[in-house]
Amino acid sequence: MKQERSQPLLDAGFWRAVIVMAAISAVLMYVVVIFPIERFLPEASTVSVPIDRLFKFCWFFGVPILVYVNGMMIYFAIRYRHRPDEPMDAVGSEIHDNRALETTWTVVPAILMVVLAVLSYIVIPMYYPTGQAAASAVTMEAIGHKWYFEFRYPGLRQSVMNEMHLPVGVPVTLDITSSEQTTDVLTGAVLHSFWVPEFRLKQDMIPGMVVPIHFTPSEIGTFRIVCAEFCGLGHSHMWGSIVVQSKPAFDAWYAAQQHAGLAGTSAMIPINFAAGHASGGQALFNTKCTVCHNAAPFAQRKVGPGLANLFDDPSHPTLVTGKKASPDNVADILEHGAHGDMGTMPDMQANGLSAQDISDLIAYLKTLH
Amino acid sequence: MAVAEVGAAAGGHIHPPPDTFIKKYVFSLDHKVIAVQYFLTGGLFFILAGLLAEIMRAQLAGPNNHVLSVTTYNEAYSVHGSAMVWLVIIPLLTGGFGNLVMPLQIGARDVAFPWLNMISFWLFPPAGILLFASFLYGAPQAGWTEYPPIALQMPFGTSMWCMAIFLIGVSATITGLNFLVTVVKMRAPGMTYTRMPLFVWATATTAFLSMIATANLSAALAGLFIARTFNVPFYDVAKGGAPVLWQHVFWFYSHPAVYIMILPAFGLVSEIIPTFVRRPIFGYKAIAYSSAAIGLLSFMVWAHHMFTSGLQHWEQFLFMILTMTIAVPTGVKIFSWVATLWGGKVRLDSPLLFVLGFLSTFTFGGFTGILLASVPIDVHEHASYFVVAHLHYVLFGGSVFGIFAGLYYWWPKMTGRLLDERLAKWHFWLMFISFNATFLPMHWIGLLGMPRRVATYDPAYAGTNLFVSISAFVLGASMLIFLYNALRSAKHGEIAGPNPWGGRTLEWMIPSPAPYYNFKDIPIVLSGPYDYGKPLPYANVSQELAKVPMH
Amino acid sequence: MAANVHAISDAEYQEVRGQRLLGFLFFLISDCVIFGDFIFSYLYLRTAAPIWPPAGIERPYLYLAAVNSIVLFGSGATMHYAMEGMRHNRIRQFVWFTVATIILGSMFLSGQAYEYTHLHDTWAGSTFGASFFTLTGLHGFHVFIGVIFLITVLIQTLRGTYTQERHFGLTAATLYWHFVDVIWVALFFMFYIY
Repeated sequence: MKQERSQPLLDAGFWRAVIVMAAISAVLMYVVVIFPIERFLPEASTVSVPIDRLFKFCWFFGVPILVYVNGMMIYFAIRYRHRPDEPMDAVGSEIHDNRALETTWTVVPAILMVVLAVLSYIVIPMYYPTGQAAASAVTMEAIGHKWYFEFRYPGLRQSVMNEMHLPVGVPVTLDITSSEQTTDVLTGAVLHSFWVPEFRLKQDMIPGMVVPIHFTPSEIGTFRIVCAEFCGLGHSHMWGSIVVQSKPAFDAWYAAQQHAGLAGTSAMIPINFAAGHASGGQALFNTKCTVCHNAAPFAQRKVGPGLANLFDDPSHPTLVTGKKASPDNVADILEHGAHGDMGTMPDMQANGLSAQDISDLIAYLKTLH
Repeated sequence: MAVAEVGAAAGGHIHPPPDTFIKKYVFSLDHKVIAVQYFLTGGLFFILAGLLAEIMRAQLAGPNNHVLSVTTYNEAYSVHGSAMVWLVIIPLLTGGFGNLVMPLQIGARDVAFPWLNMISFWLFPPAGILLFASFLYGAPQAGWTEYPPIALQMPFGTSMWCMAIFLIGVSATITGLNFLVTVVKMRAPGMTYTRMPLFVWATATTAFLSMIATANLSAALAGLFIARTFNVPFYDVAKGGAPVLWQHVFWFYSHPAVYIMILPAFGLVSEIIPTFVRRPIFGYKAIAYSSAAIGLLSFMVWAHHMFTSGLQHWEQFLFMILTMTIAVPTGVKIFSWVATLWGGKVRLDSPLLFVLGFLSTFTFGGFTGILLASVPIDVHEHASYFVVAHLHYVLFGGSVFGIFAGLYYWWPKMTGRLLDERLAKWHFWLMFISFNATFLPMHWIGLLGMPRRVATYDPAYAGTNLFVSISAFVLGASMLIFLYNALRSAKHGEIAGPNPWGGRTLEWMIPSPAPYYNFKDIPIVLSGPYDYGKPLPYANVSQELAKVPMH
Repeated sequence: MAANVHAISDAEYQEVRGQRLLGFLFFLISDCVIFGDFIFSYLYLRTAAPIWPPAGIERPYLYLAAVNSIVLFGSGATMHYAMEGMRHNRIRQFVWFTVATIILGSMFLSGQAYEYTHLHDTWAGSTFGASFFTLTGLHGFHVFIGVIFLITVLIQTLRGTYTQERHFGLTAATLYWHFVDVIWVALFFMFYIY
C-alpha cells in the first residue's frame, strides 16, 4: 500500500486548507490585537498595561497554533476518512517521521517560549520595588486579618480598614503581610492574598513574611480588593476596595483621617434606633453576619453565638464585652468590633456598615426570636 | 539491551489457576482482575466526587445562595478535588489501565510482584472511606492543597484526610515500583525499549514519577499530621516555622502528580490513533523521548504554583523558564498526533472520537498553562477561576476524556463485549459540548476577578455562573449514557473477538477477555508494533489476527 | 518465595532475583525521597531562621552521638563480614557476625533513647526539635525495623532457608542495613557537625 510516486505528499487540497486556516487565524489575531481589555476590566495601574500586552502576545501566537491544531485535526479526519468501498484492512501512509517538520515544530515553539520569557522578565520588576523608584515611593502596609484588610499609612495613628484611599499618579510601595495575632494555632493568623484585578496585582499575605509590591494607580475610581487565598469561613466575603482620588481629594481624606485619629476612636457615632428597618437589617444580616452567627438561640454557635433573643434572654444577659445586652451596647460592638474567644468581630469599617445599617441591624435583631 | 531469556525464562511456565472465589475475585493476584477492581472502585469515587461538583454548582448557580452552608461548600470542593485526583484519575490511569494493558503489551504473564499489586489495590478502598468519612468529623476545607496555617486550625476531618491520602500515596508508590520493575525486567524476548508500545513508555515514566514523587507526598502528609496532632512546629510562625515550607514540599509531589495524571492518557492516545487510522504513529522516537523528558522536567517546575508566595525573584524566573521548557515536548506530542491523522484511513469510532475531543480540549488547556507560566500574567490569574478553568481543561479535557477513550478501546479486551457505538457518540457529543460550556466561561470570570474557593461571588458574574451551573448538570447527565452503555453491554454488547479494532500491539493477539495466564507461549518480538501494512512483527502469533473484523 | 528457593531452576531463580533486587533498590530510593523531604524541611527552616539553633535551644552533645555513630558504623562492618561468610559457605561466620550486628544495632537504639531522654528540647518546642526528633526518630524507626529484619533472616538461616548460591533475602537485609548507615552519615553531619 505504498503512496504512488506521482502523487505529491501535500496536495492542492492540503494547501487550500492551510490557506483557509491562515485566513481564520489572521482574523482572530487581528481581534486579539484590537480587543479592548480595558472596557471589561480597567487598566487602573501602570502595571496593568504591560501585563495585558504580555497576555495579548500569548494569544496572538497561541491563536494560530490552536486554529491549526484543531483545523488540521478536523480536516485530516474528514479528508482521510475510511470510505465504505475501501476494504476494512486498508492501511494509510507508511511515513514514520520527517526530520525537517519535527525540527520546525520543536524549534519554533522553543523560540516563542524564549521570547515570552524575556518579555516576562522585563515586566517583573515593574511591580516589585527595585532601585530608585522604590526608594522615592511612599511606603504603607497592608495586613490581612480574618476577614478584613487593615491598612497602615505613614503619619496616621489609627489603621484604615478595608477601604484604601490613594492619590492618582503617585507611586506606592505596599508592604504586604498577614497578622501575627496570637500564638494560638487555633485562632491565629492564616494566609490571605491581596488581589486587585484592575491593577493586575496579587501578593499573598503570609504570616511571618513581609513582601513589598510597588505600583502607581493611573485611573481615578473605586477598584476591588479580593482575597484570593482560602482563609476560613469568611473567605468568600473578604472584599475591600481601593479608592483612587485626585490629589486634592486624597489630601482632604487623609486630613480627615488624621483628625479622627487625634480625636480618638472610642467615640460613639450617633445611631437613630427609631429609623431602623428590620427588613433592611435582615438582608444585611444574611449577607454579612451569617458567616459567623446563626439567626438561632445562643447555643447554636458558629464562630460567634446565635443571636436570637439577643435583648431578652435571661440566661445570657450580657454581651461579649461584659456589658448588658441593650441596643446601645450592641451598636457599640457593631461600631468598634470586639474580641471573643472564638475570633474577632470586625468593626463597622471592616464590615462596610454605615450608621443606618447599624440601626437596621438592631431593628432586625429585636424581631429575631 | 535487557531482554528476558528465551525459552527457559520464569515467564515461560504457567501457574495453576486460582480456585476459590476469594482468590479469584477478592484477593486476586491477577493484574487483569486487579485492574477491574480499580475501575469499579475508581468509578464509584468518580460518581461521588462528581455529585459533590454538582452540589457545588448548585450553590454557585446564583450569588448569595443558601443551598449549602459556607462550611459545607468548602468541604465539598476540598473533597471533590482530593477525590478526583487521588481516588479517581490516578487509580484509574495507573491501577486501572496500567494494570490491564501494560503487562499484556510487553508480553508478560503478570507484573513483577503480583502480591504487592494486590496490596496496592486493597489500600485504595480504606483510603476512600477515610476521606469521605471525614465529612462526619469536619471534612477538610482548605482545598486539596490544605495550606497551613489554616489547615492546622481545622477539625479532625483534616487529619483523616492526611491519613487517607497517606494510604493512597503508599499504594501509588508501590504500584510505581512494581510497574517500573515489570517494564525493565519482564519484556518479551526481542522487545527492546524502542520496540515498546508507547503506552508502555508512558506507564514506565508514570511509574518512575509515582515511585519518587508519591514517596515525598507521604512524608509531607506525615509532617502535616504531626504538626496538627502533636504541634510539631514546621509551619507555626510563632516557633520559627514557615507556611511556605508546606507549599514547597506539597508541590514537589503535586506537580509530578499532574503528569502522573496525564502521561498515561498521552500513552493511550498514542495507541488509539494508529489503530484507527491504520498507519504508524508519526514520530515514535520523539513521542517516546518526550515522555521521558516531561517526566524529568516535571520535578523541576513545582514552584510555578507559588509565584505569589514571596519567592525570590531569581526563583520566580528560574521556575518560569523551566515551566515554559516543558511546553516544548508537550507540543511535539500534540503535533505528532495530529500529523498521524494525515494520510491515514480514519475510522471515527468511539475511541478515536474521544481522542479527538482530548486533542482539542487538552491543547487549549496546555495553552492556558503557558499563560500561567509567565510570572506577570500569573500574578493576575493565580488563584482565580482562570486556574480552575485551566486545570479542568487539562484534567477533565485531558485525563477524563483520555480515560473514556481508553475505556471504549479496551472494554472488549476486558469484558469480551463491545460498547454500543451509537450510545457512545451521544455520550461523546453531549460531554464535549457541555464540558466546553461549563469550563470555557470560567476563564472569563476568572480574568475579571472571581477568586477560587468561594461560596458566593460578585453579582456581576451571576449570569455566567448560572450558565456554567446548568452546563455542569448536563455534563453530569452525559455520564449516565456511558453507565447505561456499560451495563447494557454485559448482555447485549456485541461479542468481541481477540482483535475487534485491528490493532497490532500484543494485547490484541490473545482472546477477549484474556485468559488468566495471558499468553500460551510468550511471544517473540521482531520489530515495533505500528507498521500497518506489514506482517505482524511477532514470531509465534497468527497473522490472521491482523485482519479487521467487519462490523 | 524463600520457601521455594530450592525448588526452581537456576535460570528462573536468577531472573526472579534480578526483579527482586531492582524492586528492593527502587524501594530504598523511594525511602531516600522520604528522608529527603524532611531533610529539605530542616534545611529550609534552618536557612530561614535568624539564628540557629533558635534562642534557648542547645545543640545535642557531639560526643555521645559520635560514640553512637561508631557503634552503628561498626554494625555495618559486622554485617559486611557476615555476608562474606555466607558467600564463602561459612554459615557459622554469618550467624555470629549477624548476631553482632543485631547487638550493635540495639546498642545504637539504646544510645538514641538515652540521648532523647536527656535533651531539654522537645518535638513541639522549636523548629530544631521538630527537625531533629522527626529525622532521627524516623531513622531510629528504620534501625528498629532493620533489627527485626535481621532477626528474621537469622532465624531463616538457622532453619536452612538460604544457601551460598541462593540468599537474596540476606542480600536485601544487608542492603537495607547499609542504607540505614548511609542515612545516618547525612543526619550526623547535618545535626552535629554543620
